[in-house]
Amino acid sequence: MKVAYFSPLPPERSGIADYSTLLLPELRRRVELAVVRRGRRRPPRGTDVCLYQIGNNPDAHGWIVEALRRTPGVVVLHDFVLHHLVAGLTIGRRDGHGYLAAMEREGGVVGRLLGHAVLDKRIPPLWENRPEDFHLAGEVLDLATCLIVHSRYVHDRTRAAGYEGPIRVVPHPAWPAPAAQAADGVAGEPLFGAFGNLNATKRVPQLLEAFARLRLTCPGARLLLVGATSPGFDLDRRLQRLGLDADGLIREDYVSETRLWSLMSACDAVVSLRAPTMGETSGTAIRALALGKPLVVSDVGWFAELPGEVALKVPVDTHEADMLTAALELLAQRPDVRTSMGAAAAELARRQHDVGRVADLYAAALEEAAGGRRVADAVLGDVAQAAAEIGIEPGAAETGEIARRLAEVELGR
Amino acid sequence: MRIAVCRPQVPFAHGGAEVMTDALVAELRSRGHDADLVTVPFKWYPGARVLTQAFLWRLLDLDEADGQKIDLVIATKFPSYVVRHAEKRVWLIHQFRQAYELDGTELGQFGDSAEDRAVRRKVQTLDRIALGEASRLFATSANVAGRLERSTGLVAEVLPHPPQDLDYRCEAYDGFVLSASRLDRAKRIDLLVEGVAREPGLEAVVVSDGPDRGRLEALARDLGVDGRVRFEGRVSGERLAELYARCSSVYYAPHDEDFGMGPYESFLAEKPVVTTTDAGGPLDVVHDRQTGLVVAPEAAAIAGAAAWLRDHPDEAARFGRAGKAFAVEVTWDRAIARLLS
Repeated sequence: MKVAYFSPLPPERSGIADYSTLLLPELRRRVELAVVRRGRRRPPRGTDVCLYQIGNNPDAHGWIVEALRRTPGVVVLHDFVLHHLVAGLTIGRRDGHGYLAAMEREGGVVGRLLGHAVLDKRIPPLWENRPEDFHLAGEVLDLATCLIVHSRYVHDRTRAAGYEGPIRVVPHPAWPAPAAQAADGVAGEPLFGAFGNLNATKRVPQLLEAFARLRLTCPGARLLLVGATSPGFDLDRRLQRLGLDADGLIREDYVSETRLWSLMSACDAVVSLRAPTMGETSGTAIRALALGKPLVVSDVGWFAELPGEVALKVPVDTHEADMLTAALELLAQRPDVRTSMGAAAAELARRQHDVGRVADLYAAALEEAAGGRRVADAVLGDVAQAAAEIGIEPGAAETGEIARRLAEVELGR
Repeated sequence: MRIAVCRPQVPFAHGGAEVMTDALVAELRSRGHDADLVTVPFKWYPGARVLTQAFLWRLLDLDEADGQKIDLVIATKFPSYVVRHAEKRVWLIHQFRQAYELDGTELGQFGDSAEDRAVRRKVQTLDRIALGEASRLFATSANVAGRLERSTGLVAEVLPHPPQDLDYRCEAYDGFVLSASRLDRAKRIDLLVEGVAREPGLEAVVVSDGPDRGRLEALARDLGVDGRVRFEGRVSGERLAELYARCSSVYYAPHDEDFGMGPYESFLAEKPVVTTTDAGGPLDVVHDRQTGLVVAPEAAAIAGAAAWLRDHPDEAARFGRAGKAFAVEVTWDRAIARLLS
């Protein structure tokens, strides 16, 4: 069975490129793979099923969406909300009509009017302040013969959006933790780390506020912030206002993968906050699990599904900063809690997020997607013929009974 | 209690599963239960036929029989556990192994086509659903339970079943090695035949029947050992008990076997077992130099082990008696008490 694999790949800087780099060697052991060159829109000859890795970056995924339009197939939905992707593929390509059509498809006339307001710059971009209200995943869902998602959250959202095809919840694979040494000179008592772009979505304002409060009771605590500052996010002013200086804060911009691991290794706990969520899984959180680091996360989406023994979950509400402060204090004051949470995190990564296990689940989904329809037809044909031969007509009560029994064991369509 | 024991039937074939389920029904009846055997013919090829034939079980209504409630069903091997019942217990003999560990081997059934791959996955889905419905889940060996957990995540209690009821006894260690497995390729009786060819003076008696018999007899002829390997075909219980009573050891080395009654029968006759490191279920009870010899799955190693036991009857007897201590613990009283608890 041959699978055409559409994904961004290194040297593209993309979390999904890194993801595919991790997954591909294991997947190759289970199915015949043809990795499709960037920009090609047709699968190679002899392909049984296409697999599309879809994320929100229009530069990385635009060509993949175009290929999906030509040949429907299995879609790995890394984010449920695809508004940013759709905006990039429409407005970003001067196709305002395309954006309006997408908005109308999902939000009706109101959606179209809001789309006009965005195009006319009368309201801020919806993908920045109301993405959850207009996910714009409809076209991709229509083209997907099967979905692979990484959380129950995305599973439930896609079902609520009307997707009726098969959905497989497959854990995000964990990178094997390298034997990286903790970065020299990066330490705290304890050291908290936050990785990724610095912006409001990552709840950096709330994190800084909570950390400043923590420093009043735990002056030895330090916060390591790694990642680029998003445009318009005035980090320096916030740090100044909160009195956070080099004594309490360590700052690094975009770092290499090797440096990332060594910095994370130096941390006593990792903070990975997010709101609103697009339904995404955090590569940072997955790496932290693999390293056996306790996590502090927002109580939303995929993050909310992490077991309580590996992550302290902070609700996104008016008490967010208070709860975040309490979580940081607990981890700062209780090394024993950090140790037990870290052990549970490593075990979770080994048990649930093992890349071989993930590849097994991928292979199962792909094999069912490639031949499942024909198998269902064969079974139904066999059963229908036997029923017809003894006079059970379509619409008879017995037919309903047979259909129910088939559905119970997932042998129907 | 009214109990339906469910077992698929492969017409004209008779093996360990039939022996076990027939005995289970008889033992339940002897304890005052109203037990009966429910069977449906099973053909697993070609293509998706494995699924439609399995689905037949789903259409059965075993809630009642002739107006009387059936309290419990005990399903055994694929696909009998697809049956519906509020009190479904599964005593798993094996899943459809072609969809699991035999896939991609010469004993597998499914090719590389998209349809074949999808049929295999559907069998796995069917297993997850049907076995997941069971109110209690038992497996006949640690090997079967392990495969189940790896493939579906379901955890089964290990519950071995007693072997068939024969007049087990030990009369002598007459030097020959006995094979009483069904003659099919998975039982690897060819390794024993080849081993006899390599070990001058070693004799083997092969009983039972099966699709591999013609090939095995031809192999024995080609190797010039048809005088030292005697094929007796299907024999009576009396004859089998007599052979157990007089052999020096029993050869039992299928590849990755589910459970295997062979070792238990052998042990009840105080005879050690020659098996291989990849035999699966038998390794639950055949421990090297304790209850038998566990060797590499190679003809020379198997022949060497059988010859050693022939030449060392005291050790053979000691291993056999140690095995008997295991085997006598596996009783119908205990098995039924757990099944019905």
